[in-house]
Amino acid sequence: MIHATLHAYVALSAALFAIGLLGVLIRRNTLVVFMCLELMLVASTLGLVAFSRFNGTDDGNVFVFFILTVAAAEVAVGLAIIVALFRKRQTIQVDELNTLKH
Amino acid sequence: MNLEAVKLAAANNSWGALFPELMLACIALALLVFEVVLPRKQHRYIPDLAIIGVAFTLLGLFLNFDSASLDSETFNGLLHHDHAGQVMRVFFLLSALLVCVLARVSLAKRAVPRVEFSHLVLVITAAMMLLAQSSHFVMLFVTLETVTIGFYILVSYFRTSAASLEAGLKYLVMGALSSGLLLFGIVLLYGAAGNPALPMHSANAMHYRDLAAFLAANPHNFVASVGIVLVLAGVAFKIGAFPFQIWIPDVYQGAPTPVTAFLAVASKAAGFAVLLVLARDVFASYAWLVIPVLTLMAGATILFGNIAALTQHNVKRLIGLSGVSHAGFLLLGVVAAASGAAMATGAVYFYLFAYLIASFAVFGVMTHLAGADDSDQELEHYAGLAKDNPFLAAVLAVGLGSLAGIPPLAGFMGKLFVFIAAFQAGARWLLALAAAGVAISIYYYFGWLKAAFFESLAPSPDGPARPERTPVGFAAGLALSVLALGSILLGFYQGPLGQWLTLK
Repeated sequence: MIHATLHAYVALSAALFAIGLLGVLIRRNTLVVFMCLELMLVASTLGLVAFSRFNGTDDGNVFVFFILTVAAAEVAVGLAIIVALFRKRQTIQVDELNTLKH
Repeated sequence: MNLEAVKLAAANNSWGALFPELMLACIALALLVFEVVLPRKQHRYIPDLAIIGVAFTLLGLFLNFDSASLDSETFNGLLHHDHAGQVMRVFFLLSALLVCVLARVSLAKRAVPRVEFSHLVLVITAAMMLLAQSSHFVMLFVTLETVTIGFYILVSYFRTSAASLEAGLKYLVMGALSSGLLLFGIVLLYGAAGNPALPMHSANAMHYRDLAAFLAANPHNFVASVGIVLVLAGVAFKIGAFPFQIWIPDVYQGAPTPVTAFLAVASKAAGFAVLLVLARDVFASYAWLVIPVLTLMAGATILFGNIAALTQHNVKRLIGLSGVSHAGFLLLGVVAAASGAAMATGAVYFYLFAYLIASFAVFGVMTHLAGADDSDQELEHYAGLAKDNPFLAAVLAVGLGSLAGIPPLAGFMGKLFVFIAAFQAGARWLLALAAAGVAISIYYYFGWLKAAFFESLAPSPDGPARPERTPVGFAAGLALSVLALGSILLGFYQGPLGQWLTLK
């Protein structure tokens, strides 16, 4: 059995983070952008757990619970805003949301 | 689970030290209870109760200003109470008070729930007060997210307006992105500082003091430097520094005016309170990295904010971009503080207070001139203001003059102190850039004043009508007069406030 090293976990976490960041910057659908934002948080969570295990301290693991709570609150508010906006404008494409350009 | 350890940890929880925050939270909850309990006719008094509550909290804070918990850590090092924290508490309470006063004027123009607005303002204020006193990254992250998520709701509060919702969505994406960067930075710092293979590694790696000790022992750790850059980027988003300022004009324009004021003043100040502690104390041994990054950011922010503001016709976008340039001047102060200039910290706080007083004066005038469509506030709407309403025009003149940094006003003294601190720190090039920025800013601030004072009302039959101006009520009139007088007085005489802000 091959044991995954800390490096593997941190590399995976950094890759997930990069995918999320690129997705936020490139994708045009608000829901996909929102999913990518969550991916960034999940990447941080994975990094925390890996570091916590490697360093032998528990505070990283505890921090994960706070992050989960915060992410849930963010999703609740965020999806509400997206739904309200869709009802108003009938679109959630980033390119078409341009009421505020002068 | 070790019960003794839990008991020991709980013994360090001194709830008394959090009295103002707890008070705000209780008032916020009480407001919701009142909405359920009181008959519908009396609901319009509930926001006034919030104002009274904040005022009493402020009074209580002043009475107990030199409290016993000063210069100590509570909650096992999550919070560190010091003089600067008390100053920021006063700052946030003042902003909350003024936001509630502006909201009375602004929310009356639309059919929106008003109790929840006060509730959210109070919760955000309490979180910002904790944020300014946090000394642990978990505390920092949780309070920062409480503030940010509260702001998502407040920005999109006019939920029947496409502009407000769109601003809310943009703030949501940008805010969540910055939180993601900040969080990943924290994770990397935690991973580096807890690594048992490195000297001075710590079991409590997210605590500022332990982290600073680790960074001092490993001044060129690659993972830690990436973490520091990510944390600085996350905070730079909140203060709207270049290149993270893209959200500012759209969000400021779409948000309800009191929320724009809250974002511009309190949210920015919270970012600077955090940045000051991080750049000056925690990341002190990474000055080789932090100072160049912040210097570049400050220069670019000053230039971008001022130049982009030149072409704006919407006053909310204009004040947003001018706020970007103010963030640049404040960053100049932070650079000076990180380079060890003695008066830089006090100068940044003085600048923040001068900015609070001047900004709320301007936002107060904007609230009275806005119509039902809150995002439609053009420079042309100010034509003839001096003739129709000399009081509002005078307040606007003092507020904008102070923001521009015209000599006898508070904003001038704020800029002067920051510039002196930057001079002490030896940031000559940045100083020259900042002086150029001030010169540019005078142009667009005076364009605004010109519209209010020298342009007469030209009724155009084809163009859309100017929104009806709101008559000035008692509370708003009192607040605006105090703010205008404060800007003038602080310009001539900084004695007590300056002394109070000179941190030990």
